[in-house]
Amino acid sequence: MANFILRKAEPKDVSDILRLIKELAKYEEMEEQVILTENDLLEDGFGDHPFYHCIVAEVPKEKGTNGFTVIGFAMYYFTYDPWIGKLLYLEDFYVMKEYRGFGIGSQILKELSHTAVKTRCSSMHFIVAEWNKPSIEFYKRRGASDLSLEEGWRLFKIDNKIKNKAKKKK
Amino acid sequence: MAHYKLRKAEPEDVTDILRLIKELAKIVEKEDQVMLTEKDLLEDGFGEHPFYHCIVAEVPAEQQKVEGYSVIGFAMYYFTYDPWIGKLLYLEDFFVMKEYRCLGIGSEILKNLSVTALKSGCNSMHFIVAQSNEASINFYKRRGALDLSLAEGWRLFRIDKQCLLNLSAEE
Repeated sequence: MANFILRKAEPKDVSDILRLIKELAKYEEMEEQVILTENDLLEDGFGDHPFYHCIVAEVPKEKGTNGFTVIGFAMYYFTYDPWIGKLLYLEDFYVMKEYRGFGIGSQILKELSHTAVKTRCSSMHFIVAEWNKPSIEFYKRRGASDLSLEEGWRLFKIDNKIKNKAKKKK
Repeated sequence: MAHYKLRKAEPEDVTDILRLIKELAKIVEKEDQVMLTEKDLLEDGFGEHPFYHCIVAEVPAEQQKVEGYSVIGFAMYYFTYDPWIGKLLYLEDFFVMKEYRCLGIGSEILKNLSVTALKSGCNSMHFIVAQSNEASINFYKRRGALDLSLAEGWRLFRIDKQCLLNLSAEE
């Protein structure tokens, strides 16, 4: 089994976090949609009011790939359900393919579960693309339920173009 | 048209917020699933680190259609983070009492939220809607909302408390 550690992300990790965000986006064939910069990640995650939190998985230098020792991450934040209160929302979760099959993903999920319980969250929520069968199976094996299937929830967005139009309307 | 005003919720609004949360839950026959108390809402929304924000819609005493209630609508939201585009405003709950519908209050709340989103540097507003709730889906679509579940195939998953306890205790 690979030697690795999990730790809270620090400001110096933002380049690795961005690199991994882009790798995951590439897997979803959406790499050009990543417009966030290292500066955004720094301000938004490590300022007075963090908008997200990250755990990173790190291997010793000699086990790194192309000089990278941070080989996985999970990005999460806290949301609020008006029926049951605080939730932990898992936003992004990725382990570089060279490091899969070693239990790193499972360990990250365990760490997140522990964080959720410690911070008195009632549940962990996240979205998965319906075509992403390996991820769906990974989560289902660990007891996740598909609320879109069971309860019919659909995700909507109103983006800036529309919001700007609405703002101008009297 | 009814006179009303929109304002940021204050600690004393938690009773009305809980009442409206329960009214909305009753519509989908899930009122018994509301476990939150006024104390939770107070600690979670008005402490050092608020986990949610609320706008409330209020009518003057003489305009009350339902006796005793001047807070007649609300929206609950918080900020989330998209790793591709950054900050988002997430609209969690949104309800206007039925006696006050079709007066433009819902539209005004949504406009207020849009201004808040833009002012806070958010690139988008996200929310979920039950696929059976055609009235709400049409309300949002008329205002330019896009169904991402349809367009991009996203499905919402949950790992509940018992599973979290099991996972965190695993060897």
